[in-house]
Amino acid sequence: MTELNRDAIQAQLQTCTSKEATFKELVSLSKQLDRLTDAEKIEENKVKGCESAVWLIERQENGVCTFQADSDAKLMRGVLAVILSLANGHSKAELQAMDLAAELNEFNLSSYLTSSRTNGILGILKRIKS
Amino acid sequence: MSFDANTIRDEFPILSMEANEHPLVYLDNAATTQKPQVVLDALISYYTTSNANVHRGAHYLSDRATAQFEHARDRVAQFLNAPENSYVIWTKGTTEAINQVAHGLEWCIAPDDEILITSLEHHANLVPWQQLAFRTGARLRVLPLTSKGEWEPEYAHYFNERTRIFACTQISNAIGVKTPLKDMLAAAKAVGAFTLVDGAQAVAHYEVDVTELDCDFYAFSGHKMYGPTGIGALYGKAHALDVLTPLQTGGEMVSHVTYNSTEFNTLPYRLEAGTPNIEGVIGLSAACDFLACQDREDMLIWEQKLARYVYDELKFNNDIEIYSPATDTTVVSLSVPGIHTLDLNGYLDSQGVAVRAGSHCAHPLMAQLGVSSTLRASFACYNTLSEARRFCDVLLEAIEILGDD
Ligand SMILES: Cc1ncc(COP(=O)(O)O)c(C=O)c1O
Repeated sequence: MTELNRDAIQAQLQTCTSKEATFKELVSLSKQLDRLTDAEKIEENKVKGCESAVWLIERQENGVCTFQADSDAKLMRGVLAVILSLANGHSKAELQAMDLAAELNEFNLSSYLTSSRTNGILGILKRIKS
Repeated sequence: MSFDANTIRDEFPILSMEANEHPLVYLDNAATTQKPQVVLDALISYYTTSNANVHRGAHYLSDRATAQFEHARDRVAQFLNAPENSYVIWTKGTTEAINQVAHGLEWCIAPDDEILITSLEHHANLVPWQQLAFRTGARLRVLPLTSKGEWEPEYAHYFNERTRIFACTQISNAIGVKTPLKDMLAAAKAVGAFTLVDGAQAVAHYEVDVTELDCDFYAFSGHKMYGPTGIGALYGKAHALDVLTPLQTGGEMVSHVTYNSTEFNTLPYRLEAGTPNIEGVIGLSAACDFLACQDREDMLIWEQKLARYVYDELKFNNDIEIYSPATDTTVVSLSVPGIHTLDLNGYLDSQGVAVRAGSHCAHPLMAQLGVSSTLRASFACYNTLSEARRFCDVLLEAIEILGDD
C-alpha cells in the first residue's frame, strides 16, 4: 500500500498559488491512492451525500486504523488522499479527539472543499471518526 | 433593431470580472442568467425612491410602491401575451408556482385518476406531482419522450379520460431539447385535463405566448430571464386559478376573518399570502423591459449559433458524447466516458469557464440517457463566439489532462 505522507502532501499543496495548480496537484495526488476492487465498492462502503461516488473501508490492527478510499472522480480521489494522510495510523480514540475538518483546512484546498462538496467531505470525516 | 452580443455585454457589469485569474466565461445560463444594469438600477431605485409595503395604502410611498408593483403585473402579463380573464400570481419562482398548482388541485384528484408528466422534466415538475399522487392515490404517469423530444404515436393512450392533469416542460433544462408542446397540449385538452407548462427554460430565449399555447397554467422564474432571484410567476386562466386551494394563508389574501371563518380575497391576491417580494417584482418588470428592447428573434438565432458552433466543434471527437440536439437549442450537454464530469468541471473552473456538471435535477432523465451526470454549457445573449471557442479549447485540454489512465 502506498504510504501517504501528510507533511509532503501539505508542503506540495502549499506551493499551489492558483486554482489550476491545485487542480493539477490533486490529479497527481489521486494517483497515490490505491484503488478499491469492485468487490469492495459495495453499497455499505459508500459514503452518502457526496456528489461523486465515494467508498471508504476501515481496517484496525493493534488498535491502529488504516483507511482505504476510492471515488469515481479524480479530484475527489486527490482529496481522499489528503484525508487519508491525516487519518491513517491513528487509533480510534485519537481520531475522535482530532479536529479533522480544521486540519484539512491547512491544506490550502478551500475552494475545493466549499459548497456541495463540503457536505460529502464532512460525511467522510464523520465516518472516519465513527 | 439589430442584435450584437458585444454591445449587449457592456450592459452586464459582472461579465468583466476575472475568475481564478482568467477572464470569466459564464456558460451556466440555464441555471441562472446574469443581470443587466437596468435591472440592478430598478432595484436600487425602488429602495431609494419608493420602498413601502404594498396595498396597505394610506401614504405617499405606499401608493408609489403599489403602483409600480401592479404595473409590473401588467408588464409580465404583456410579456406572456396573457389573454383577458387570466391572472399573473407572484411566486418565488417556477418551483413554488408548480407546488401551488399541485397543492391547489388536490381536492379534485381521486384515487385512480392520472397525473401525466413527460420523461424530460426537472424535479420541480416531477416531485410535486409524485407527492400529490401519493397523497391522493392517483397514478403518476410519465409520457416517454425521446432525447430528441419526440413523441411516438403509440403513446397516445397516455392521454385518456382518467388524465386529470398534464404538466410538461417547454424545454428540457438538462439537454436543451424542446418538447412537442402543441400536440401534447391538444391531446390533454381533448381529454379535459388541466394543463401546466413549465416555462423556466423558455422565457430567456423564446417569445412566450400563453394565448397561443392555451394552457391553463404557465410557470417561470425571473432569475433565468435576466431578472432577480426569488421572484417568478404563475400565470393562469381565471377559471383554473379560481379552483386552486391557496398554498399559504394569512395576510392580504383574505377579505374578512373571524375566529370561526375566513373569507378569501379575490384573484390574484387570494393566492399571494404575506408581504410579497416587491423589489423582485419590480426587478422582473425591468427584465421584461430589457428583453422587449432587444430583437428577440436575432438574439435567439445568436444563442443557437453559439450552441451549434460548440456542437460542430465537438461532434466528431470520439471521446465526447453529446446529448443535446444539433439544432434549435441554446444548450450543449455532453459527457466524456471514463472521465467524471466533476473533474472536467474542475478544470474548466480553474480556467475561468463556468458550466454545470451534474444530473441537472433530472435523475430519471439521466437514467434514460444512461449516464449519472452531464456537463452542460448553456448560452445567453451576452455570450460571444470567442467564449464558445474557449469552452471547446479548455474542454479538450481537460480531456488531455484527465484522460491518461
Ligand atoms: C425546467 C425547469 N423547471 C423548473 C426549474 C426550477 O426553477 P426554480 O429553481 O427557479 O424554482 C428549473 C430550474 O433549474 C428548470 O430548469
